[in-house]
Amino acid sequence: MKKLKIPGWIKRIGIYLAVLGPGIITASADNDAPGIATYSMAGSTYGYQFLSIIAIVTIGEIVIQEMAARMGVVTGKGAADLIRERFGVKVTAFAMFSLLIANLGTTVAQIAGIAAVAELFGVSRYIAAPIAAVLVSLAVLKGSYKHIEKVLLALSLFAVSYIITVLIINPPWGEIMKAVVIPNYSVDQAFIFAVLATIGTTITPWGIFYMQASIADKGVALKDYKYTKVDVTFGAAWGNIISAFIIISTAATLFVHGISVENAEQAAQALAPLAGGAAKVLFSAGLLGASLLAVSVLPLSTTYAFCEAFGFERGLNRTLKEAPVFYSIYAGIIGISVLIILIPGIPLFPIMWLSQIINAVLLPVLLVLVLKLSNNDHLMGKWKNKRFQNYLAIGLTVFISLVTMALLVVSILDLRG
Amino acid sequence: MIYFSQLINQQVWDGFGSVVGKLEDVLIDATERKMPPIVALSLKKNVSKISYISAYQIASLWPSITLSVGIDRIKPYTPTGHELLLLDRVLDQQIVDTEGKRLVRVNDLQLARAGNQFVLTGVDVSGQGLLRRLGLEKIGSAMGKLFNRSPDTVVIPWEFVASIEHDDPLRLSVSQNKIVKMPPADIAAIVDELDRHTTTALLQGFTNETLADTLEESSPDLQMTILSNMSQERAADILEEMDPDEAADLLADLPNGTSEALLSLMEKDEALDVRTLLTYPEDTAGGIMTTEFAHVPNNISVQEAIDYLRKSEEAIEDEVMYYVHILDENQQLRGVVTLRDLVMANPASDLHQWEQIEQITVEPLTPQEEVAYFIAKYDLLSIPVIDPENNQMLGIVTVDDAIDVVLPTAWKKRLPRLF
Repeated sequence: MKKLKIPGWIKRIGIYLAVLGPGIITASADNDAPGIATYSMAGSTYGYQFLSIIAIVTIGEIVIQEMAARMGVVTGKGAADLIRERFGVKVTAFAMFSLLIANLGTTVAQIAGIAAVAELFGVSRYIAAPIAAVLVSLAVLKGSYKHIEKVLLALSLFAVSYIITVLIINPPWGEIMKAVVIPNYSVDQAFIFAVLATIGTTITPWGIFYMQASIADKGVALKDYKYTKVDVTFGAAWGNIISAFIIISTAATLFVHGISVENAEQAAQALAPLAGGAAKVLFSAGLLGASLLAVSVLPLSTTYAFCEAFGFERGLNRTLKEAPVFYSIYAGIIGISVLIILIPGIPLFPIMWLSQIINAVLLPVLLVLVLKLSNNDHLMGKWKNKRFQNYLAIGLTVFISLVTMALLVVSILDLRG
Repeated sequence: MIYFSQLINQQVWDGFGSVVGKLEDVLIDATERKMPPIVALSLKKNVSKISYISAYQIASLWPSITLSVGIDRIKPYTPTGHELLLLDRVLDQQIVDTEGKRLVRVNDLQLARAGNQFVLTGVDVSGQGLLRRLGLEKIGSAMGKLFNRSPDTVVIPWEFVASIEHDDPLRLSVSQNKIVKMPPADIAAIVDELDRHTTTALLQGFTNETLADTLEESSPDLQMTILSNMSQERAADILEEMDPDEAADLLADLPNGTSEALLSLMEKDEALDVRTLLTYPEDTAGGIMTTEFAHVPNNISVQEAIDYLRKSEEAIEDEVMYYVHILDENQQLRGVVTLRDLVMANPASDLHQWEQIEQITVEPLTPQEEVAYFIAKYDLLSIPVIDPENNQMLGIVTVDDAIDVVLPTAWKKRLPRLF
């Protein structure tokens, strides 16, 4: 019997997977409640043509995350620190408050997702939301979230079921390829909402901060930067491939029947070809894992960033008395999110994706700052942005700002008309 | 009291009431340690075309910035290279408060008039300073009145401020002198919060001894970072300076190849001590003990014991001496004498007269919780560890390590930073 020789490249992948860079973690966040909701809605409402948007957004995400990662490697500091040191308190205040609002919106969406999943199985949101919030907070405040992080990360890998579903359905690939390359959409208010939500859930302000902070914290050396680049690119690409497959599966199963997803029940049906009656379970596992992970990470990192930028006492090893601002913000984010979800009659599914528009609208604020920092000679030296990166990033910033303004214009016209 | 934030972007007027420009930045003489004087102003939208206006021509800074001469009589200031730009290099930067022993961020700067000069008196790191920068200090005062507390303006005098900008080696070396005077535990806590580049730059100037002390108080992550940024020779030197038990803990966390390489670079005796300690499980007496302890031979007088200690290499190296252990030729423990008794005793008397009545000892494999329990129960400062097979004394577990078993060291409770 010949001995099996494992090729070097497989070994390298094995090592890489074992390490799980920040790129993968940020990418898995694409499959949380806001993500799945946005892509399900988009695929079922607009069909394959929405894939061209995903393609553009993917490129944007890779460029921006790479900038954040590069800044983390070269300066060794997080984005909040750099903004404070370069631009002073007023700009920092503006950026931090934007981040706070955007992250609040996303946390609301995550809890909405958890509540929606609970209701899929008959558990009232009034029970599920508070309990989930309390459990997550306890796990985080006691420092034991690191243990469950791996579990939640594994759960979120269930999003792979979308890929398998698509392979089972065997959709018309020719038509899909055409749709990716040849855009064909009618621009109305609803469409603009969908585009903004997609941008907002894929390129999140918190994702940028998280990427730079993780890299800075790891202490990646300049000479190892090329591996980080691979991690970032691969992570972003992988996350968006899943997003694309969510769109394809909803388009193939729901759009063709004219069903535009408006609640979690319908969204879960996209997985029916794979799992039949168990589609609900499959759908929920992925969503729950990613959303619980997000609810663990997001409020905590928001309050860390805020307190660090302004020099407030922070850290879980401090008591409530020692670090009042730190704990207040944390409790506030989670508390307000739960309260919003508990408003009687509030439609969970629309919240999940509409909240992402906030991310998109506030993104240009952060992009301008990131662009200025990554082009700064003193900070970055020879590692500052190349021209094409600037063009792409500026292009994206302008694009989002224009779309936001278009939204305002269309809304005003709608109101008058 | 003038605050720098109130001056930035203000109009600068000349002696006759014409506008010269807007204040962009202020230069101080960085060589003055206590209250550096302002030496020049830097303006934007500058009508006079002079980059730095000499500070001797400032008539007032508050409530408006006015010069004492007309525009055409403004004298330029020629930088000597020992100046510091306040807005560019100090405001919003992180600094070390060497008096409060913590890392803080500069929210505002406090200036004052001293005779015919203006000087920088200190750094404002308070929340009130933050509100002032945002133009919201009235809110701070109002809230203060509401809750019946006067808003705190915490100002750190400039002489206690240590800058940690890694690209300013001159200021950094001055800071290093201030920082090394702080207790190692505080240095470690501060270094833990710094980013990699700053950490490396700051620690370059430390002596091996200071570095070893700091490392002993640091988290494993920090230890790894620091050691990986230096040559193996220097790392081995530092490991030699550290207490053997701390060095063993550090090496235990390193990959085998690296720890072997470092051990082989260390002095034979030191390496042997550490290797011995590495053979014991981490959570036992052997895992937390140190092999450095003060001992004297059997059957000697008090005076002879004191002379022996003063000449003994080991005693000289032992940083904390609580008890003196009487060992016979076979390294077996015959008695323990407290330092108090040693000092108070009649020098001519037999040392054994003064030994402790009860000899409380543990074995290398005794669980660390039990060791801590004994230390607490019998009010000990250290407890000897005896090899059960040959009754030889191997080392001692000191009270600080016992406390660590029960109360985790500060850094153990930290979560990884996420931003």
